[in-house]
Amino acid sequence: MADDSPASHRRDPIKSSVGNVAAQRRRQNAVTVGKERRESLVRAKRLCRVGPSGDGDVPGEENDMVTDEEGFLLDAQTSSAVEDLKSAIAYQGKGAMQKRVNALRELRRLLSKSEFPPVEAALKAGAIPLLVQCLSFGSPDEQLLEAAWCLTNIAAGKPEETKALLPALPLLIAHLGEKSFLPVAEQCAWALGNVAGEGEELRNVLLSQGALPPLARMMLPNKGSTVRTAAWALSNLIKGPDPKAATELIKVDGLLDAILRHLRKSDEELATEVAWVVVYLSALSNFATGVLVKSDAILLLVERLATSNSLQLLIPVLRSLGNLVAGDSHTTSTVLIPGHEITDGVIKVLVKCLKSDHRVLKKEASWVLSNIAAGSIEHKQLIYSSEAVPLLLRLLSTAPFDIRKEVAYVLGNLCVTPTGGDGKPNLIEEHLVSLVQRGCLSGFIDLVRSADIEAARLGLQFMELVLRGMPNGDGPKLVEQEDGIDAMERYQFHENEDLRNMANGLVDKYFGENYGIDE
Amino acid sequence: MAMVVDYKHDSSFPYWTSIRRRFAPDSPFFSSGNIERELLAKQVALDLTEDERNQLEKMIDNDARGIFCPIVGCDARLTLLEDFEDHYNARHTASCSVCSRVYPTSRLLSIHVSEAHDSFFQAKVARGYAMYECLVEGCDLKFKNYKGRQQHLVDKHKFPTSFEFFKKAHPSKKQRLKNQQKRAVNKKDEEASSKMEVENEMMEGLVSAVSKLSTSDSSPSTVSFGRHNARGLTFVPRSVQPPLQKK
Repeated sequence: MADDSPASHRRDPIKSSVGNVAAQRRRQNAVTVGKERRESLVRAKRLCRVGPSGDGDVPGEENDMVTDEEGFLLDAQTSSAVEDLKSAIAYQGKGAMQKRVNALRELRRLLSKSEFPPVEAALKAGAIPLLVQCLSFGSPDEQLLEAAWCLTNIAAGKPEETKALLPALPLLIAHLGEKSFLPVAEQCAWALGNVAGEGEELRNVLLSQGALPPLARMMLPNKGSTVRTAAWALSNLIKGPDPKAATELIKVDGLLDAILRHLRKSDEELATEVAWVVVYLSALSNFATGVLVKSDAILLLVERLATSNSLQLLIPVLRSLGNLVAGDSHTTSTVLIPGHEITDGVIKVLVKCLKSDHRVLKKEASWVLSNIAAGSIEHKQLIYSSEAVPLLLRLLSTAPFDIRKEVAYVLGNLCVTPTGGDGKPNLIEEHLVSLVQRGCLSGFIDLVRSADIEAARLGLQFMELVLRGMPNGDGPKLVEQEDGIDAMERYQFHENEDLRNMANGLVDKYFGENYGIDE
Repeated sequence: MAMVVDYKHDSSFPYWTSIRRRFAPDSPFFSSGNIERELLAKQVALDLTEDERNQLEKMIDNDARGIFCPIVGCDARLTLLEDFEDHYNARHTASCSVCSRVYPTSRLLSIHVSEAHDSFFQAKVARGYAMYECLVEGCDLKFKNYKGRQQHLVDKHKFPTSFEFFKKAHPSKKQRLKNQQKRAVNKKDEEASSKMEVENEMMEGLVSAVSKLSTSDSSPSTVSFGRHNARGLTFVPRSVQPPLQKK
């Protein structure tokens, strides 16, 4: 079983999407306005600003932020709209339906106005029980749609606001049914996606209420925004950490077929959402991974990597491939057999990713390569003789730190035989010598100098290979030339015992009292 | 970590070993990729798309060529309003032919029909069989009474206590007339007739009991229960509205 993630448990702080200037400006405005709104975590939730028919507010680019005064006004209007809804529901006379829809629409507009809707005001005024009533079976579609839309945006807020949707969940799930008007089903899926994105607890509630099967069925058609929304909602629903939901999903009749179909033929937007579903399936569920590996999935993922240039698509596709390789030894041993066309295809697209400008692609492609390089000798030879190595060598000296670390894994893995049974893994001298001659040693020694424990460990381990494995006892000399002794001596009194022992051990063994005397 | 610490050998150095590394989906390893995923609110144009425009035209087109069914993916074209309503009900709604309640899935409809209109169902219940199915797909548990099923939904599936599957309601005058018409037509068939009578009685019973019932929430229950044509022509895709001024 492969090992787990590095020791660091630090969660990265949430950052806005780098390329989105307007978003950054809004964020700055939010700070200056001084109101504390929700922290947009890697946004698992999505606000619904515009409806399926295209109506709704045009999201304001610049003046999206509400001043304090406007905020109070908005809250007051919202409370008032909820009151209107209450009386509309109570009204039983002529035109009751239209009254209800109008009241809902007004509330919906207020909740769609800005990036930070007046959710708190709506909840305080008692919106939820009213919205739940508006969801009852047999209600007119417009009513269902508006109610679901309101709930969607309420659910996009803070955790406690999302939790407020609990009474509405069974009805939202019911309206995913096959007889529902499609836009209604989609809007309910959207709301549920937001709820699922909130956290594990709510996910479990949704799963226990049977949300998964109807959402899964919504992915079966060939196209449409509903399919995309359902895929997104599902990815939130199955993201665990419990693998149960992922395993349940892959077992849904027709779902594997639908996934493959979308990966093969659908437009990039839809394929992107489906790819994210595959990411979670392959990261969480061994069963799902096995099923996917046996299917055409890898081939289709490779196809997409080869033909697309959309970063949004490439990321989850690459990661899915990576998860399938990492999660199941069958991938490298039975599918990606060296010499087979598919394997060449994989190497080729990974090389394409290494060449890309995007940091994430370079890093994760290196990770995938490192796992393939952890395969058989033939795998190592395959990678060693491919276009990847020159690129990796260059990345090792020039790329940002996180990429260099992954590259180090690849190169190091190329230099040792497969781990099997006890005993020191043997060196693959040919690879080691060639890589060192091409100048990789300094990159590893740089890692030793870094502050990252894992990276330093990698560097020291590679140095050990060099010291032990270079022919003619050239190792120590080479290490010395690259200031390796110096790098190791920094760990002489280091607080980390492991690194200390490693470094001191190497220095003692290879640079002891007798060093240099035999010259 | 990729390195297996290997203490079996003399130098006790953890040698480089090549092994696969796997990461959980929420691992920090993946965070930079995750950030790329979520954009802020989707920016969708206010204007109708080509498709939506076509749909709207179809809806308005009610001359001799007939009406197109507005449901996405349905190609039916019907010339008479009644035909359209029938088509709609048959293909796109799960509506109860007895009381006209509408449900979003066939399964829920069939559960409703059994529980509300089927005398055989009631007979079995009376004999103590567990007939009330759990509403959650895949659960497959059955209960001897409505309350038992309700409690199960709350306890096991975390439904809110305010949830009610069967809300008793007052059918509109129009519905009652329609029901009577249907009954009149069917009276020719003896077997159907007797069954209908049972159903009639149940319906009458329900209708008369309505005013005495209170719903589970305090506000008056004014929710209508699916006029079966509620989704027919009365629903019009919301037309283009003048774009709201940017603030």
